[in-house]
Amino acid sequence: MAEFEPKIVAFVCNWCSYAGADKAGGQKLAYAAQVKLVRVMCSGRVDPLFVMDAFRQGADGVMVLGCHPGDCHYRAGNKKAQQRFRILSRMLPQFGIESDRFRLDWVAAGEAERFQTIANEMTDRVRALGPLRIRGYVAKEVA
Amino acid sequence: MGRPRTAVFLCNCGPNIAGAIDLDIIAGQLASRQDVAVVERHALLCSPDGQQFFRDTLQNRQVDNVVVVACSPKMHEKTFQDLAGEAGINIGHVQMANVREHCAWVTPDKATATAKAQLLINAAIRRSLISENLEQRSMEVNTDVLVIGGGLAGIEAALTAAAAGRKVTIVDREISLGGAVIKTEEVAPSLECAPCLLAPRLAAVRDNSNITVLTRAEVTEVRGFYGNFTVRVRRQARAIEPSCIGCEACFEVCPVTVPSRFHLGLGTHKAVYTLFPGSVPAAAAIDKSACRHFTDGTCNACVEACPFGAVNFDQPDDESEFAVGAIVVATGFSSWDPRSISALGYGTVPDVYTLPEFERLASSNGPTHSEIRLRDGRAPRSVAVVHCAGSLRPDAIPYCSRVCCLGALKVGELVRKQIPGATVTNIHHDLVLTTPREQAFYRRQAHEGTRFLACTDLAAVQVRTGDHGIRVEGPGFEPVEVDMVVLATGLQPAAGTRELAGLLNVELDADGFLKPDHAVLHCTGASLDGIYVAGCAAGPCDLPTAVTQGQAAVGDAISKLMPGRRINLEMMTSVIDADLCAGCRLCKAACPYKAVSFDRERKVCVVNEAICRGCGTCSAACPTGASKARHFTDAQIHAEIGGLLHG
Ligand SMILES: Cc1cc2nc3c(=O)[nH]c(=O)nc-3n(C[C@H](O)[C@H](O)[C@H](O)COP(=O)(O)OP(=O)(O)OC[C@H]3O[C@@H](n4cnc5c(N)ncnc54)[C@H](O)[C@@H]3O)c2cc1C
Repeated sequence: MAEFEPKIVAFVCNWCSYAGADKAGGQKLAYAAQVKLVRVMCSGRVDPLFVMDAFRQGADGVMVLGCHPGDCHYRAGNKKAQQRFRILSRMLPQFGIESDRFRLDWVAAGEAERFQTIANEMTDRVRALGPLRIRGYVAKEVA
Repeated sequence: MGRPRTAVFLCNCGPNIAGAIDLDIIAGQLASRQDVAVVERHALLCSPDGQQFFRDTLQNRQVDNVVVVACSPKMHEKTFQDLAGEAGINIGHVQMANVREHCAWVTPDKATATAKAQLLINAAIRRSLISENLEQRSMEVNTDVLVIGGGLAGIEAALTAAAAGRKVTIVDREISLGGAVIKTEEVAPSLECAPCLLAPRLAAVRDNSNITVLTRAEVTEVRGFYGNFTVRVRRQARAIEPSCIGCEACFEVCPVTVPSRFHLGLGTHKAVYTLFPGSVPAAAAIDKSACRHFTDGTCNACVEACPFGAVNFDQPDDESEFAVGAIVVATGFSSWDPRSISALGYGTVPDVYTLPEFERLASSNGPTHSEIRLRDGRAPRSVAVVHCAGSLRPDAIPYCSRVCCLGALKVGELVRKQIPGATVTNIHHDLVLTTPREQAFYRRQAHEGTRFLACTDLAAVQVRTGDHGIRVEGPGFEPVEVDMVVLATGLQPAAGTRELAGLLNVELDADGFLKPDHAVLHCTGASLDGIYVAGCAAGPCDLPTAVTQGQAAVGDAISKLMPGRRINLEMMTSVIDADLCAGCRLCKAACPYKAVSFDRERKVCVVNEAICRGCGTCSAACPTGASKARHFTDAQIHAEIGGLLHG
């Protein structure tokens, strides 16, 4: 049987992290193919329900990537993202989702390699956890 | 109306996409989808030929939505949005699936890349099916400019705007314009005479009918937004009417002497005073905290002495409100006070001065009328200049102020000009001289006799009373004993910068200066549209930089605010559905721009879409779904998530 390839959904802000992923592309820095991005204007746009929805719809891991603290294109949206991340990380286990399946990090527009590293690290981390198996339960709680 | 018709364009991007992803398979699958009406493929869709093909196809095929499967939206979203617009499709209905940067270039295996591309395209199609129109809204603007701070940066900003025919108001809290440059005698490295440099610029401000100068004044309130600010300015009465020409007749009869801030406490002025002859405005002002008319009502001397009847003790403070389109912050800096580091001897060892104080002693408009003198009236025979006093250390100023080295080099020049045979020793570590002209200035000073002693740790320098004068010692150099010590102190944000930034709703950087909108591309823009920053308000800089920034800030401001032209507003703003809003105000707290307000009557929150920048942070905070981030709606993002996870 083929090795389990975890599906990772990453919400990335338009100005830093999406651009960082673009740069990784420009430099042909290959990373796990199951990492797929959803562009939002700011990491502050990420509603915790988006994260839950991604898990519900089959993601094994979810990331929120924004501008480094102090560099937010919208001043402090990433700070909001961080506050929400803290709360959500503590709530996830109550839904049977290991908090390691959720990651918040910062990738600047120039940080192509950092993007690649984070994408691969997250994939390895979630691969070690195995597939997420609580879909029915989460669907009831969140949908 | 039936189901929306979606067109999908596949771009080969030469070999870039077609070589890494099997577009034949993709095209085949798309052709069989119910929700896709048109599938087209092109070798290079962004080429002139490709663009024509794209537009023509959209015109001929009657579609509602477009998905462009190509490169990053950061490359060409605008290109295809504009073309779609020309073909009559609202730009809100154009989506890009970024299969180049996010798939073809990062997924070496073609089958894997093809599978990933399918999901990326699927997500874009699903998203496009529920896309909504984006409307370009625009607004009339006020083209006048407010300049806060009338140092050289502010003066040049005002003159630039006025030259373009704009009405400008300069607000300065001092009693006259000029800022720091007027306190120096010569401007290095060119050694231009500072007062001569400034005088014609001040006259130009005074004589320009487009410029209004408000002194002893501060901005107390700012409302509105880019193109439509309303500002409130409070002006303290100077008790002297504008008919005063600054003839100084009243100075002679005024019985009260006060330490002069302009002379940094090294000299005095009367309770009725000007900063220097030829100031703009010319009118004197009365220091009400010292004047005997105001303190005990016993004196009227100036009223009697004034040939113009200009003294008016009853002049009220006034407040005015006016509209401007853009605001330039040019509030300059304050100098670091060395009292907090006792090893530097300042305030305890006589004849230890700061660099700005030394500049006052050397200035023709200074307390000693440009005679460099010790406190006992003698001319110093030897002077030591300590570089980086308080700089580059976490307990004082953690950064380098960039201009102190230049100022410190002037000491030798000014001392030798006046006191033949006097020695000047600069105790330094780095010498921050950033242009060939500054370096040439340094070489000249060294050649003409300034001695340079390199210290290995300026934070360890000690200044104290020695046997034959003031002793300066530290690691890496032989101790010196001199008559006078000058501390090259660094530059800090002007007092009140934090409060002003709060009024303006702009950000400060880690050191407390105004943060640029973009450090490279828009360094004279502050972090809010329509607010600019120039000169030392943005961080320590030399005069040419301050002047250039003042001109650049205004150049940008006036080219964006043109009389008769409207400005376009952000399209992807958030909007709140009043029917769904519960009035909880979480969105208001989340908004980084204060764009959300609470309507007390209707008990709902409202977004001011002229201020909103479209980050969507409020929408994420909204518990009822009332706040919608245009083009990034909850529904669109949920559709995209589903599309990425299910083929
Ligand atoms: C000792 C010393 C020597 C120097 N020597 C040189 C040199 O030789 N060559 C060179 O190129 N540069 C030199 N510089 C740097 C130079 O002084 C600055 O580049 C220049 O003064 C910056 O001008 P500015 O207009 O930005 O600020 P400033 O000159 O500081 O003017 C700011 C103005 O804003 C006003 N203001 C402040 N806050 C408010 C407020 N809240 N509301 C209203 N008004 C306000 C102030 O009253 C002031 O008039 C030297 C600096 C120092 C300290």
